Parts: sequence; C-alpha cells; structure tokens
Amino acid sequence: MLNTLNKRVSCVLLLLAIGYLVLAYQLPTYPYTPVDADVIPKGLGFLLVGLAICLYFAKDSETQEQKARRNIPRKDIGALLAVFAFVFLYITLLEILGFVVTTAIFIFFCSLFLGYRKHITNLIVAILFPLFMYITFTQFLKISLPPGILPF
Amino acid sequence: MGSIEGIMTGFQVAFSMQGILYVLIGVFVGTFIGMMPGLGPISAIAVMIPITFGMDPTSALVMMAGVYYGAIFGGSTSSILLNAPGVSGTVATSFDGYPMAQQGKAGKALAIAAISSFVGGTVSVVLLMLLAPVLSSVAISFGPPAYFALMFMGLTAITSLSEGSTIKALISAVVGFMVVTIGIDAQTGTQRFTFGNVNLLEGLDFLVIALGLFALAEVCSLVINRKDLSMENAHKLGSLRITKKEFKEMSGPMTRQSFLGFILGVLPGAGATIASFIAYITEKKIAKHPEEFGKGSIKGVAAPETANNAATSGAFVPLLSLGIPGSGTTAVMLGAFLVLGVQPGPLLMTDRPEIFWGIIASMYIGNVFLLILNLPLIPYIAKVLKIPRPLLISLVIMFSIIGVYAISFNTFDLYMLLLFGVVGFIMRLYAFPAPPFILAFILGGMMEQAFRQSLTISNGSLFIFVQEPIALTLLIIAFLSFIFPLIKLLRKRQA
Amino acid sequence: MRKLLFVFILFCFVLVTTACASESKETSGTDEKNWEPEKPIELVAPAGAGGGWDTTARMAAKVFNETGIIEQDIGVVNKPGGGGAVGWAYVAGHDASPYNLFVASPPIVLIPLNGQSEYGHEDFTPLANMIADYAAFAVAKDAKWDNLNELFEDMKKDPESITVVGTSSPGSMDHIQFVQIAKAAGVDISKIKYVSDQDGVGLTQLLNGSVDVFSTGVSETVEQVKAGTIKVLGVTSEERLEGEVLEDFPTAKEQGIDATFVNWRGFFGPPNMDENAIKYYEEKFKKLSESEEFAEIRKQYGWDEMYMNSEEYKTFLDKQKEEIKTLLDELNLSK
Repeated sequence: MLNTLNKRVSCVLLLLAIGYLVLAYQLPTYPYTPVDADVIPKGLGFLLVGLAICLYFAKDSETQEQKARRNIPRKDIGALLAVFAFVFLYITLLEILGFVVTTAIFIFFCSLFLGYRKHITNLIVAILFPLFMYITFTQFLKISLPPGILPF
Repeated sequence: MGSIEGIMTGFQVAFSMQGILYVLIGVFVGTFIGMMPGLGPISAIAVMIPITFGMDPTSALVMMAGVYYGAIFGGSTSSILLNAPGVSGTVATSFDGYPMAQQGKAGKALAIAAISSFVGGTVSVVLLMLLAPVLSSVAISFGPPAYFALMFMGLTAITSLSEGSTIKALISAVVGFMVVTIGIDAQTGTQRFTFGNVNLLEGLDFLVIALGLFALAEVCSLVINRKDLSMENAHKLGSLRITKKEFKEMSGPMTRQSFLGFILGVLPGAGATIASFIAYITEKKIAKHPEEFGKGSIKGVAAPETANNAATSGAFVPLLSLGIPGSGTTAVMLGAFLVLGVQPGPLLMTDRPEIFWGIIASMYIGNVFLLILNLPLIPYIAKVLKIPRPLLISLVIMFSIIGVYAISFNTFDLYMLLLFGVVGFIMRLYAFPAPPFILAFILGGMMEQAFRQSLTISNGSLFIFVQEPIALTLLIIAFLSFIFPLIKLLRKRQA
Repeated sequence: MRKLLFVFILFCFVLVTTACASESKETSGTDEKNWEPEKPIELVAPAGAGGGWDTTARMAAKVFNETGIIEQDIGVVNKPGGGGAVGWAYVAGHDASPYNLFVASPPIVLIPLNGQSEYGHEDFTPLANMIADYAAFAVAKDAKWDNLNELFEDMKKDPESITVVGTSSPGSMDHIQFVQIAKAAGVDISKIKYVSDQDGVGLTQLLNGSVDVFSTGVSETVEQVKAGTIKVLGVTSEERLEGEVLEDFPTAKEQGIDATFVNWRGFFGPPNMDENAIKYYEEKFKKLSESEEFAEIRKQYGWDEMYMNSEEYKTFLDKQKEEIKTLLDELNLSK
C-alpha cells in the first residue's frame, strides 16, 4: 500500500491535516462575528486532506537528480546531526554563558568539526567576530544581547 | 503653483551642505544596519530616534529617511551571498540571487541588485514628487474587500512560483498558511494552536520561517556537499560588468516594477515584502523563459530589488500626505517625526513645505549616494564567499541566530528557527518548494483578516466582494490569471 | 555641521560612559536605609523596538542618564511577544531584584483578564505612573453624527449598521475603551460590531468609509481634525484637554455619559521588591516627571503628566481592573 514515495509522504501529510483539524474543531466560539476564528483553519485542514489524497494517487514524477538528493551517505547524515546538536547546544547556552562566549565556542568547534584546519585563523575569527557583533549591537545600536558571564 | 515653489524649497534644503551631509550619514548608517543580521529598517529607525532628539527637524528627518531606504538597500547582500535574508523585503531576491552567486556570478548579482534598487528608488521618487498630493486618495481607496482581493490575487500565483509538481506547490502553500494561523486571532482574540505557550501568542515571526527554510536548509546542503569540488564556482566573485544585453534584459522588469512597487507601497499594509513577491511573480508570469526563474535569472534579481525600493518611497505617500503609517516601519518613522515635533498629515505640505519636499528631494541624492557607496564595495563584500566552507557554515548559522534573536530576544524562537531549518531541509529532499510556503505565510494572514473584516462589516453577506469596483477588478484578474494557464494547457494537448 | 559633530560626540560619549559604568561597580557603599543601585539597571520594554512601550522606556532611560537623576547606566531590553506576556514572565522570574524594571500600560490589566497571561499587575510592584493618554472616538467629517449621544442613539436602534474599528483585538484596549463608554450610555455592548486592523489601516478604513467609528488615542486624531478629514465625537478624559485643537474635543462626561478611560503609562518592578528600593525609585521617577527634559518629551508626543506613587498607583490599578472585569464578564470574554 505504501510502495511509492508519494503514498508515504501523503500519509504523513494526512496525519498532519487531521491533527490540525482536531485542534481547529476545539477552538472556542466567539459570539460577535459572522466568520469565527475556526472557519479558515477548518477550510485549510480539509484542503490539505484533499491535496494529500491527490498526492497519494499522483504518479511519481521525480527526476533522477531529485532522487539522488535523498541518497545521503551515512557519514554525512552523522555530520548533519552533529551540526544540529551543535546549534541546539548553542541556543541552549546562549542566554546562560552570554552571546560572545557561546558564539566563539560555537564558531571554533563547529568549523573544526567540519574540517577547518587552520586553528589560529579559526581562533581569531571565533573571538573577534562575535566581539565585533556584540559591541556593535549593544554599544552603538543600543540593542541588548545576552552578556552572560562577561562583565560588560 | 504652490507645489513648484515647494519643490524648489525642497531641493534647496536637500542640496545644501547640511542636507547632503545628513543624507550621507543616513544612507551609510542605514546600509550598515541593513547588512546586520536581523536588523531591518524598523530597528534601524528605532535605534536612531534617541540620537535625533533635539536636532533640527529637517536635517534629522532627511537623515532618518536615508536610514530607512538605506536599510532596505543593504538588506539584499546576505540574501544573495548566503541565502540568508536579513529583512523580509529581500526574501524574493534570494530566489535567483543565491543561485547566481552559486554559479560564480556573485559580483554581477550584487551589481544588479544595486542598480535595480537605484532605479526603483529614483523612479519612485519622481513619482512621489509628481503624484504625492494626488496619490493620497489612492492610498485610502482600499477597503477590506479590496485588500482581500489583492492578497487573493497574489495567492493564485503560487503555482507559478514552482517548477515541478503543482500538487506539491499547493501543499507547501497550505502548510504555510496553516503556520500563519498560529497565535491570537485579531478579529476575535481567540488563541489558535498556541498550546498555551505565551511565545506563540503573537504567532511566528516571518524571519524565523524565512531564515529556517532558506538559510538553515541551505546550511544542511552545504554540510553534505562540503567536500564537493564541483561547487568550486561558488567561491568566485565573477565580473561585476553587466553587458548591454543583460542591461536590456533588466530594463523591462525595472521599469514595470518601479511603478508597480510604488503603487503597492502606497497602499497601507502592503509594503516592501509584498511588493517584492508580487514583482517576482508578475515578471515570471510574463517572461518569455519563465523556466529560468529560480535558477539564477537576472530578471529574478532585478524585479524584487526594484520593487522593494520603489515600495519604500511609496510608503511615504500615506505617511507624509495623510499621516497614516502603512506598516510597522512607517509607524516607527511616524514616531521619529513626533520626537522632532513634526506632525505628518494632510497639513504638512502647506505648513512645513521645507520638510515635506526636503525629504522627497533628499531621496534623489540618497539613492545616488547608495549606488556610489555600494558599487565599489561589492568586491570586498563578496569576499565573504572566499571564506572556507566549514567556517562559512558556522558564520551563516551565527548570522541566522543573531538575526532571530535581535527580533524576539528569546531562545524559544531560536528553537523554532532550528525546527524550520529541519522542515526546510526535508522539504528540499522531497521536492516541496519553499517559495509557495513563504508566500502563503505572508499573504495568507492578511487575506484571512481582510476576508473576515469584510464579512463583519457586511453582516455576513458575500456580495461585499463584488460590490466594490476595486475588489471586483482584482478578483477578475485573479480569476483570469488562473484560467489562462489552463486554457494554454488544453490547447497544447489538443495540438 | 555642529549637529553632526554632536551626533559623533554622542556616539563616543555613549561608548565611554558604558565602559566606565562597568568599572565603577564597587564604589558607593550602601546602608540599610538608603538604597542605591550598584550596577546597571535593566528597563524592559515588553514589546519590539519602536512601539509605545519601547519609546517610553528609551526616553525615560535617556533623560534619567542625561540629567543624572540616576547615574547608573540604564539599558533598555526588548522582550516582545504575547502582547507583553513574554516580557512579564521574564520580569516575574527576577523575584525581588531591584534592577529589573519594566514599562506598562492598561494591557497589563486587560491581557490577564483575557486569559493570555498568567501574570497581572498584582504580581508586580507598581513603582510610579508617569503619563496619561486618553481615547478618542472619531468619525468621518461628513458623518451624520455630531456628538456621542447621536451615535449611541443610532447604535441602540440599528446596531448592525455601525462598525467600529481599532488596532487591537477584541477584549483589549481599543475595544474596551469604546465598550466602556458605550455601556455607560446604555448601548447593548454585546451587539457592537468591532473589527481590528493593524498598522494604521484603521484610519484608512475610516477615511474610505469602510467603517464608521475609529477608536484610538487622542494624539492620533489631532492632525486629521486640523485638516478637516475627520471629527472627534468624544474623548475619555475627566476634563477637557489642553492645547490647540485638543481643547475643542468634548469629553464623554460633559455629554452626560458618566465614564472615563485613562491610557496610563508607568513603571513596575518585579514582585517582592525591597521597601527601600521602592522608595528610591518613587523619588527618582517623581524627579523625572518634574524635569524639564521629560516635560519636553511629553509635549512632543502629546502625553499628559500623571504622576502617581506606588500606593496610589496600586489602588488605581485595582479599581481599573474591577471596572474592566465587569465589562468583559458581560461580553463573556473574561477567562
């Protein structure tokens, strides 16, 4: 039943549409308007159901090139996941350690991980760039970024 | 003729030593802030307001106007070089600007952006000068039904924004529309799909979606191809020179979009983002080779860049002649006027002609400055591409993070950014186009509100959409643009 | 040329002062009675750059520092989201800290009642109110109504024919300020047709005749009235306002409608703030309110002076909350 790609994608979308519709049907009513907040979402939900069904029966019309895009070597998937983990950590630590420190650490290690081997350049960029950004934002533009453990 | 006298005064103000200097400062600061991640014209103007306090109003406002269009001008750089639009008005520029940069034509792409911004800016200033008093009536001619029709017309173009499967493009659009329904509904105050999370009450910011779907998704592809030598081209700056043939190719979109962008800018609520998208779509629709769009078409860069700058000048019409701020940015601009003791409105032109015309006249100089400031800088700016791939990836991620953080100041939106990065990457893998998603996100929200406002006003009667001539005209155009491709398709099949 | 120099000097000045501020931390010893800030103060605007809260915060911070009323550096921090809810949650997280203030206005009373924030004004320490603004109800210049009573009479007769527009969603300010006055005039408030429109489009809709009444702030109407494009049927202040054009606006009260609505703006601190710190800020804000520099800013923006100290402020807020709750209950909007 799920032998083609379109059919599998279609099922995922169908689930998404149903989830959205369930939530849309739970929206509270507001008495003073002819078109309530739930009308458009319900329409969108059903539209997606319809489109998902169309996709289910559509022929796979992908080119070879598009198919090749999904053939990612396992090593690269690993790299991708690692970068996502880096970004996740970056976000989590941003307000704790502060913008400059977190960004510096992120730039240095992420570049290192991706195969950048000029350590001195890397270090210089990793320190100067966030510092420049930070000073521009906080001092000149008066837009605050998280200072974290830095004294200023 | 009072206004000719006024225009003369305006030129006197703008071409004085002081005027020129302030314009220069304004456009310089504006371009600089516009190039910063996440900082668009709104933040640029907001951060400059306290500095202008106490200054001579004319000089200060000439400067602020410079900051405003300078920021729009500067915003295109990161769209083209990194696929990371820093401001919403330049998302459409990345559709073709980034592919151009990837093909080793970064210099050319930036030059086209600069020149078409200049043309869009200058033509629209001429229009502003000639038509500002007349156009104020156009600015208020759109009621909710007309806005609905305008947005609807934009949405019907979704299928033309993608190559490949129409169904997939429509699915992208519907999901994009679904995402914009998150948050408090303005017409009823109902919380929709917020899961009780305060961070979702105002919905997701446009930049979270744009940077996620475009910049972070691109980062994923870069990570996978980081050792791929066939992408060597992307390091090249390429020649800045625009050939005669290319210039000829650009001139059509530039002329048309200067006018269209300006008109859309005049309409309160439309603005630079919508103008740039509509410019892109219309140019693609009327192009002889629409299949080039999205793959590095010159027109695809020229059209949105012309339009977003033209719209910026257009937005001054309701602001200066009616005192109506048509967008978040002009609302902040209005604040800048107030701080200086100037009340924009119907009386500004007669009461303070030196300010009214001074600002407009200064925009000529400002646009020239922007061009001569930016063109020589292009080779240096484009050096960004020489940065080794691993370091560049880290910097693009940082750019996106700081961009979102400078708007929302909380980490929740950053996690959302990451989420949309993943969504964008998966969409790429399965060939779901991202432009329809972002277009539906922009137009869908406004369309829904306009639709429901109309029906509240008409007490639920749908006739309101055909009673108003503007709405009716736009709906007919939308209908035709939907029908024509179908007829074409049928003819082809028969033949 | 001189102004230009001034801008640059200001830039440098800002750089130097902030650099110094971070170093001069250890100085200024404190005893129990007189609290003094020992590190930079954070002033939260629970909205993005450029809005009303942001402007008030930035202007207050600027005058505080430039006049030396408060010598410690004051940094404005934007915490947008949820109509303020995100910023309030942030400040509530700094329990008892005397260094995290925020600027607020009626939404802090309204939004909790709408169920959109778990924090309300009771959860914070009101320090001082600074300014007042009032609502105005405007109609097109050729509208058939010349005063509020005529408008409300028509609304009683045929509520379906009149649409009111405002910038915020139902249950928040622009809606409630209109409802409050309409109710006092005896209109059935559950029948009022209200649409919300962002980014100044509301005024556009009034000018092109799509809607009939525009519920907004007084200052937004002045220029249009001068130009003769709209007329203001009533304002929500206690007495007539001062100033050119403003003095011609009739209040709702003088038209026999016994109701007012103040769009106040003031400053709050986190919960459980120390008595001495409250006193310190009360005094500083009073000085700010009385300073010439701040008077100038009020004038530019068309704000009224309205100073209240912590105690008065609290009583005032409790009363406003009571009034609004009654309205929302009647509309079935309160959560």
